[in-house]
Amino acid sequence: MLIATRDLWKTYDMGAEKIHALRGVTVSVEKGEYLAIMGPSGSGKSTLMNLIGCLDTPSQGEYVLNGTNVSSLDDDELARIRNKEIGFVFQTFNLLPRATALHNVELPLIYNGTPPSERRRLAEQALGTVGLSDRMTHKPNELSGGQRQRVAIARALVNRPSLILADEPTGNLDTATGQDIMTLFDDLHQQGNTIILVTHEADVASFANRVIHVRDGQVEREETIARETARR
Amino acid sequence: MQWFESVLVALGSLRANKLRSILTLVGVIIGVTTVIAVVSVISGMNRYVASTINQLGATTFFVTKWGIITSEEAWLAARDRKSFKALDMEAVREQCESCRRVGGSVETYRKVQYEDRSLADVNINGITPEVLQMVDTRLQEGRLLNESDEEHHRRVAYVGMELKKQLFPTLDPIGREIKIAGTAYTIIGLAEEKGSFLGNNMDNVVYLPMSTFERQFGRHRSVDIFVQVADVQVMSSTQDEVRAILRARRHDKFKADDSFSILTSETFMNLYRSITGTAFVAMVGIASISLLVGGIVIMNIMMVSVTERTREIGIRKAIGARRFNIMLQFLIEAVTVSVVGGIVGIVLGGSAAKILSMTTPLPASIEWWSVAAGLIVSSGVGLISGVWPAMKAARLDPIEALRYE
Repeated sequence: MLIATRDLWKTYDMGAEKIHALRGVTVSVEKGEYLAIMGPSGSGKSTLMNLIGCLDTPSQGEYVLNGTNVSSLDDDELARIRNKEIGFVFQTFNLLPRATALHNVELPLIYNGTPPSERRRLAEQALGTVGLSDRMTHKPNELSGGQRQRVAIARALVNRPSLILADEPTGNLDTATGQDIMTLFDDLHQQGNTIILVTHEADVASFANRVIHVRDGQVEREETIARETARR
Repeated sequence: MQWFESVLVALGSLRANKLRSILTLVGVIIGVTTVIAVVSVISGMNRYVASTINQLGATTFFVTKWGIITSEEAWLAARDRKSFKALDMEAVREQCESCRRVGGSVETYRKVQYEDRSLADVNINGITPEVLQMVDTRLQEGRLLNESDEEHHRRVAYVGMELKKQLFPTLDPIGREIKIAGTAYTIIGLAEEKGSFLGNNMDNVVYLPMSTFERQFGRHRSVDIFVQVADVQVMSSTQDEVRAILRARRHDKFKADDSFSILTSETFMNLYRSITGTAFVAMVGIASISLLVGGIVIMNIMMVSVTERTREIGIRKAIGARRFNIMLQFLIEAVTVSVVGGIVGIVLGGSAAKILSMTTPLPASIEWWSVAAGLIVSSGVGLISGVWPAMKAARLDPIEALRYE
């Protein structure tokens, strides 16, 4: 079991009233799974993603990631977990604008102390995996949207995390490029990576093996998609 | 993350934001430049004064009725003291065993003429020949005063460079006759130029044999007794010996203070320090304000930089940067800017001091400690003014920071 959450609550104190963004979510994800979290905006799926991504801690409940209980870790410990266990892919790419593709991909390795030569080798390898070997010295503004997202995916992969967490990865891309990126995720899944996809688009979610529908801070329902239907 | 990486990241972002980095630099440069220039001028003055005051030498002191007068009361008290006579000097010369040389000096200010040229308010010194061995004067031409001049009351004069310049601009002064307050004297020697000290022209001076001086100007002036000892070690014991001799001659009461003062170059140095010390501290303090302003500029710009790069911080944190990593990155940026500014400031401040000393009478000397202090202080300023913005950056919540537009 890679991820096991039990009765996760997230409550925001907005002065007079308390807002419950999550009301007792229990989810488990196996290694090698391809999971989509779906829900309309305001459903709590972003909050759930932040918790799963260790960017935030729950108000209540327990979250065990790869054998570590991360529910009550402090800022720096969470940073270490994120660096080691999670590769993020964001809707807006979130690359450092002034750094080359190669440096962007090296970034997670810088923070875990990988020596420079090893770092470079791993980053080049990751960029090769996403098909950008010829764009390594380009800066984000010299790349197309699809290429930027590929750099971001390479960055997510480079540290060999146990989980790739993608938040609306095709949200800022046109349909064709979005298709390419989803194909890339598919390939990564084939290679054994665990992927969690957060989206509000059913088309995108249909690439996953399993979909969790979130509404009003709770898991509304789960569906398992047969491999054949997932492949178009 | 290694330190080296932090430095690279910091340098990279400084390079990426050139205008901002330059503006910050200017703030630090102005501060450090001002401080270095001021400190250099001050230490130059101190050195200059010290070397001038030390012309008396570490082995020479003199006894005077007057002493250092810093108030009207002190002046009134000194005025009522008994004057020293040539006989007092003779007594010291005879009785003091550890004294190597003893001499006497009296002075007045008179007009000096040569034909139709004249020079007013010249410092006229009547001295015994030993005094020329004790004060700093170097013979340029002719000869010094000697025992025989003193003994025979010769009307001869050893003169400073100012007299040559004003009275004999084109002539050789040796052997010529000048009139001091109406009486004729033959010039036998010319001293090397000494320049001016605290606005006092030290070349506007004439030395006469003391016997001749007293014959012309009378014996009522108090004689300053100059004493030279063989070794610095016996300075204070010799002073005590001389003090005992003179107290006995002047019948000073057992518990009363001396009715005279013993002055050394150290006395003058202390006086100079007490007069100027506070002023110098104030000058450095005022100059440091510009350094403080430089620090505030850094802090201000670092704050802007943190806000502007909120998203970058969010990305770095999401990817695994800890608080320490982010803090280090911003601190190194601040310190780098301030150290570079400090180095440029030291160069500029040093040059400013040099230019100042070449174009104005102000002396300047660039001290290694002021350079070191400039570097330490400027990097300290960078560190201190970088801490708050860096902490602000380090504490950012990654979720909020990633959402920042």
